[in-house]
Amino acid sequence: MRTLQCQSTDLFTEYVRDWKEKGGKVLGYACVATPVELIEAAGILPYRIKAFGHPDTELGDAYLARFNCRFCRSCLQLGLEGSYDFLDGLVETNGCDHLRGMFENWQHVKKYDFFHYLKVPHFLREDSLEYFVEELSLMRQAISEYFGVDITDEKIMRAVDIYDEVFAKLKKLYALREKVPPAVTGAEVMQVLCTGSSMMGEDFSAMLDEVLAEKAGASPPDYKARLIIMGSATDEVDLIADIESTGALIAADALCFGSRAFWKREGESADPMQLLAERYLGYLFCPRMFTEYERRRDYILETARRAGVDGAIITYNKFCDLHGVEAVSQRADLEAAGIPVLVLEKDYGSKADTGRIKTRVQAFLERLGK
Amino acid sequence: MKPYEGLINRVYEIFSIVDSLPERISDEELEGLLHVLPADMRNTFGAFFAPHVRPISMELFGMVKKWLDGAHETKRSGGKVFLVPFNFLPEVIFCFEGAWPITSEVLSSLGVMALEGQGERYWDYAMGLGLPDFACSANMIEVGSALTESDFTPDAIISDCFGSCDINSKTHEFLARYMDIPLLFLEKTVDNGERGVKQYYKYFFKLAEEMEEFLGQELDEERMRRVIGNANKASELYWELWDLHKFKPCPVPNLFSLFTYAARFTMWGTEDAVRIMQTMVDTAKERLERGEYPADREVARSLWTYTSYYFDMGGLFNWMEDNGITHLGDGLDLYFPEVVDLTSRETMLTGLAEIARNMPMTRQMGANSMSVQWLDDVTWAAGELGADCCIYCGHHSCKQTWSSATVVRSELMKRQKIPTLILQGDSWIRRMTPMSALQESIEEFVKNVVKQR
Repeated sequence: MRTLQCQSTDLFTEYVRDWKEKGGKVLGYACVATPVELIEAAGILPYRIKAFGHPDTELGDAYLARFNCRFCRSCLQLGLEGSYDFLDGLVETNGCDHLRGMFENWQHVKKYDFFHYLKVPHFLREDSLEYFVEELSLMRQAISEYFGVDITDEKIMRAVDIYDEVFAKLKKLYALREKVPPAVTGAEVMQVLCTGSSMMGEDFSAMLDEVLAEKAGASPPDYKARLIIMGSATDEVDLIADIESTGALIAADALCFGSRAFWKREGESADPMQLLAERYLGYLFCPRMFTEYERRRDYILETARRAGVDGAIITYNKFCDLHGVEAVSQRADLEAAGIPVLVLEKDYGSKADTGRIKTRVQAFLERLGK
Repeated sequence: MKPYEGLINRVYEIFSIVDSLPERISDEELEGLLHVLPADMRNTFGAFFAPHVRPISMELFGMVKKWLDGAHETKRSGGKVFLVPFNFLPEVIFCFEGAWPITSEVLSSLGVMALEGQGERYWDYAMGLGLPDFACSANMIEVGSALTESDFTPDAIISDCFGSCDINSKTHEFLARYMDIPLLFLEKTVDNGERGVKQYYKYFFKLAEEMEEFLGQELDEERMRRVIGNANKASELYWELWDLHKFKPCPVPNLFSLFTYAARFTMWGTEDAVRIMQTMVDTAKERLERGEYPADREVARSLWTYTSYYFDMGGLFNWMEDNGITHLGDGLDLYFPEVVDLTSRETMLTGLAEIARNMPMTRQMGANSMSVQWLDDVTWAAGELGADCCIYCGHHSCKQTWSSATVVRSELMKRQKIPTLILQGDSWIRRMTPMSALQESIEEFVKNVVKQR
């Protein structure tokens, strides 16, 4: 876990450095709707773009604006200042308006030779699923042609199996956090997920074995209250650690750098493209998916109940349209289900916010009687 | 909140005055009217009643009144009223018997222009529910009123913001759930290639089927032909007016930009929209013949790249004209309408789908690349209309345009050699940036940048 602690907030990790030194290719993506199996099947490392180490966002602000979410501005900052120059290309998705802007500006300045736009429908229906299957085929073709690799059906199915293994192990890790007393903290879980999002599935799976073995008998951290956290894209290990420093335990999450990235990835088709489409479009528990609020609500309530939480934190970055609106319904539904809620609008990665956030969480714990 | 306090109900009451106004209002009568109006409304009405636009403003008020009447009448007679965003085609709804569109952005704008307090109470109500303060006021003012459940209630919502505007899509989804009314939707595939267009058409046809099912009727080809025929006529007039903008000085009054999309977003497909478009064309032609321009000379020809400001009409549109700054139109005018083939149901639906795909915002922000399509459109329009500067209003909720504004500005300078002023403010809420500050920025920009070139 010590190694993880270092690597989880490092962009160009030892793992990625080794991979590059061995001649490996790396493709950057940002959204949980990107089928990493397809990239892995090409023998390329899928790298989820994060915003670690972003003290300033002056370049990001010059291209985006103060009215765009700071997570995207921070990622763009890192991209424009060269921190992501190890990437061999980018895969854009229309995850949200801010993300689209981030990718457009990044590509406008950096002009990657490989830049693919995966267009993900905003709803699940037979016709949108068909369209997404075609989209995935175009992505497969683009990677295959540019990198000169043959992405066979067998390779894709193998990658799917590997990720199923990863997901099963992540669920075990989550179970260690959910159990009473817990064997792992919320911050530790996020470290694992962030680190794993810059690794090949097979290696991540092996790392998870080590983590699970190490943590199975770990002594429980002290805590006053069990909370679930949900909201917009964040890789802020520090945020989780700050919240936990007040005596809370993040026992469960519905974050996209969290359970939403892997909890349900199901599909029935024997055709790999169809299967990937089902696994992704069918289970994107993200407010970008319209007319699916009830599914997301049920998923959150099910997760909260399983983890036996005392309360919930809904957190979103300022200017996050999707989660900003979603939070209103989420709060109402969680409270109706008897789960007290703290809504925390914040600026991504802002150290200036730390004190305020801690105070609000402390006050929330008091409200919970903890 | 009492029912009469809802935005639609209040606006409807205000516009009922229109029926009492004489066809030609004199300066003296106008002065009397402005004296009895609350301060918030005085500037707006003063702008609309400026002598060079007064007759057409009267006609516009009549059209708006009829539009609001239509919604009430549809309700009374058991029909269905759809709440739609500005980028949805009202003519699609007019193609159905007993169906009527009300457009949230237009309603918000009417609230801002006509009501004391400029509709801020509805915005505040929405904020009170926890909705974010970075939501779009264009939508949220009307939505805030709907959320009070004291106002005129639509029977369903159609949202075609999916793919081109997250905040409005989410707001529509939220409102439909809150009010427990159906949400029909149309996603813009962010793909302008053949496959993306085909898919969009597929979604459009599916929406038409869903509307048929919801309304319990099939589209009647003859009715479609009549409605779309009207839309075609209005579209032809749009292009006539477009061409008239090219003359220097511009014979088209600044406010006509707003009037054009007021017609587009409410009554397109009706004879009323044709009439108002025709009147605008005739007025501009007459002004061209007479060489009329409000100021001594035309100092700058500005194209507004996205929205304008609507919270103080007199403070902007006419003020610009008085200072020799022409408003050649804005992003909401950039939908480049085509004439639809009226041969069959199939050709008409396909034609409507194509027009829907090119509505403002859908076309630019729902493209493969927001910045490229937006830039292409602005570049072309600026060149065609002879703009010598652009102004981006910086409506704070438009995260998509904000995220592309820098690229558009710099590329526009390279392609067209014209500068862009980037402002910051809320187009519908005066609290963000006062009109005087915006005017000052525009004035400095024209004086120090545009005129120096």
